[in-house]
Amino acid sequence: MQLNSPLNAAALALLGLSQASAAADAAPGWSFDTSTLVYSEADGRVQAAEPRVRATRTWDSGRSASLGLTLDTLTGASPNGATPSSAPQTFTTPSGNGSYTIAAGETPLDDTFRDTRIALDASFSTPLGTRNTLTTTLFASTEYDYLSIGAGATIARDFNLRNTTVSLGVNVSQDSIDPVGGVPQALSRMPDENEPIGRTEGTESKQVFDVLASVTQLLSPASLVTLTASLSLSDGYLTDPYKILSVVGTDGEPLRYVYEGRPDSRFKQAVYGEYKRFVADRDAWTISLRLMSDDWGVFSQTVDSTYRWNFGARDYLEPHLRYYRQSEADFYRAALFDGEENGLVEASADPRLAAFDAITIGLKYGHTTRGGLPWWVRLEGYTQLGRTAGVPAAAADGLSKFDLEPELNAVMFTAGFRFDR
Amino acid sequence: MLAHLDDGSHAWRFRAMASPCEILLDTGDAALAARLGALAQAEAQRIEAKWSRYRPDNLMHAINTAGGAAVEVDEETARLIDYGEHLHRFSEGRFDLTSGVLRRLWRFDGSECWADAGDVAAVLARVGWSRVEWNGRAIRLQPDMEIDFGGIGKEYAVDRSLTLLRDATDAPLLVNYGGDLAASGPRRDGTQWQVGILDSTARIHLRSGAVATSGSAYRHLWHAGRRYGHLLDARSGYPVADAPQAVTVAAPTCSAAGALSSLALLHGVGARGFLELQGADYHVLD
Repeated sequence: MQLNSPLNAAALALLGLSQASAAADAAPGWSFDTSTLVYSEADGRVQAAEPRVRATRTWDSGRSASLGLTLDTLTGASPNGATPSSAPQTFTTPSGNGSYTIAAGETPLDDTFRDTRIALDASFSTPLGTRNTLTTTLFASTEYDYLSIGAGATIARDFNLRNTTVSLGVNVSQDSIDPVGGVPQALSRMPDENEPIGRTEGTESKQVFDVLASVTQLLSPASLVTLTASLSLSDGYLTDPYKILSVVGTDGEPLRYVYEGRPDSRFKQAVYGEYKRFVADRDAWTISLRLMSDDWGVFSQTVDSTYRWNFGARDYLEPHLRYYRQSEADFYRAALFDGEENGLVEASADPRLAAFDAITIGLKYGHTTRGGLPWWVRLEGYTQLGRTAGVPAAAADGLSKFDLEPELNAVMFTAGFRFDR
Repeated sequence: MLAHLDDGSHAWRFRAMASPCEILLDTGDAALAARLGALAQAEAQRIEAKWSRYRPDNLMHAINTAGGAAVEVDEETARLIDYGEHLHRFSEGRFDLTSGVLRRLWRFDGSECWADAGDVAAVLARVGWSRVEWNGRAIRLQPDMEIDFGGIGKEYAVDRSLTLLRDATDAPLLVNYGGDLAASGPRRDGTQWQVGILDSTARIHLRSGAVATSGSAYRHLWHAGRRYGHLLDARSGYPVADAPQAVTVAAPTCSAAGALSSLALLHGVGARGFLELQGADYHVLD
């Protein structure tokens, strides 16, 4: 803590201390927060295990450092974007060297999907004067075909003895992707298994710029509110090279498949409001609302609420409810009608760009040991319900026999604990 | 007296320096908490006994009744006098160790009881650091003068108690003497200490360092329709008009926090401007 007042030095002299000895850091240790998430989608879809560890250290001077490591292992199958068919469908794997077959009437899932992601981040926070804190962050993540590196800085200023905090942050990142089998041409036909893929290996990249402004205000000793506005610009290769679309006839049956293509920039604007209230001097209730819209036509709303019930001095239960709704991107197509691909520049059947509603319900139990170290477990269920959109009118009757927006169910279990060294 | 708190930690409470005092100890060890609490209490009582202006048997009494003779002081007292001298210079005379005699003319009880101008002038003639001889070891007052450590003694006791306890334990702790407080560091779970501010919805969040409050909603008086805070400007002998009700300041030491909050009140409507100039972290209750 620094104070530019000359009183500071005089007060230290009163206590028989010099500025230097008062600023000398004690040697507090590192604190490690560890957790593991196990994520499991129903029907043999994506399974993930994600261990994380975060080491944090705070010095008496107010400086702090934090290092995080996340390991993600993904297996299972994810939708490739194609629609179901009345006959079994065979798809070439991205490398062009293999294929997988989907039974009649089933949603095509690419089960060659297997990946391990490693993410690292380091941040350092330092007070500037008595009321400002500067946090700088570096992060990197890598997986088989993907590399992302980035940096950020946030400056926060406290007012009113920290009853008000205003912060402003920027982040930039540079991502590069080196797709298996090369970078496909948007909306070009996906070759059959034994056809030459006709592409060369290549690397694509994108840049992301984020700015964020936030105000946190203590409303009373028992309540506080946070308001955040953010802008994000992504520029570059934003397409998923492994996603395809079915080109169908009037009967809704696939004639061929084409690679998806997306715009080369995306501009998002989001606002977030959170209200936290302490209840009965014991519990804490939090509710938040987030609104996001972008120039792809996606608009999403999230309502999230938790209630932390501290039923004992060292035990709590925390129910969690989240509701999410999004509209589809302008170029989202469940499928394309025969020939439509020739007149389009952009199209995607990625379910993440479709219209859907999702609900998460969870319960967390936490305990703090006598030594003051916490551990917790959390179980959550997730259900995603698609809403029909982007169906070509000429094939609507033919496609109506298929379930184009299958329900997605997932279960997440997380356990975590902290220890000090 | 030791209290067991709901979260498994302990508090040691006592009265000293005309204030409720409390040591919060983030430890489940009751014996340790009691030992440390008693240590802090003994330090607060030592400081009160040594420099209270109400006792006939202490050093302060000897200085104030020396009848114009120089009195040698110990090193600790010398540091407090040096600090008072520094505050006098820093506040351009608003703060003065010799201004205590003025307080007898004023009653800050929310009434409209205004002191007689002749009385103020008469007492003000007995005030003034420039009339004191201080060489760093011995102090000589004019026979009609008195000094006291009002405005710095309690904050000094907070800092001293924290230093003593911090040397005795690694357990996180917070010293709170009548709303002037200092913490050794964050709580065991890494969170900040949270302490309510009297008469306000604001809360103090303290990881380490100190916080002091000057003023209160109850100690003031009214004159000609304006509100006057309870601190007297040693240059005029009068309280300052339109001062905030209370000023709370965070600083590395309670002594610095207390001085900044008192001096801010003495700047009246200029309290915020003064604190901004000092780069202070503060909360003002108007």
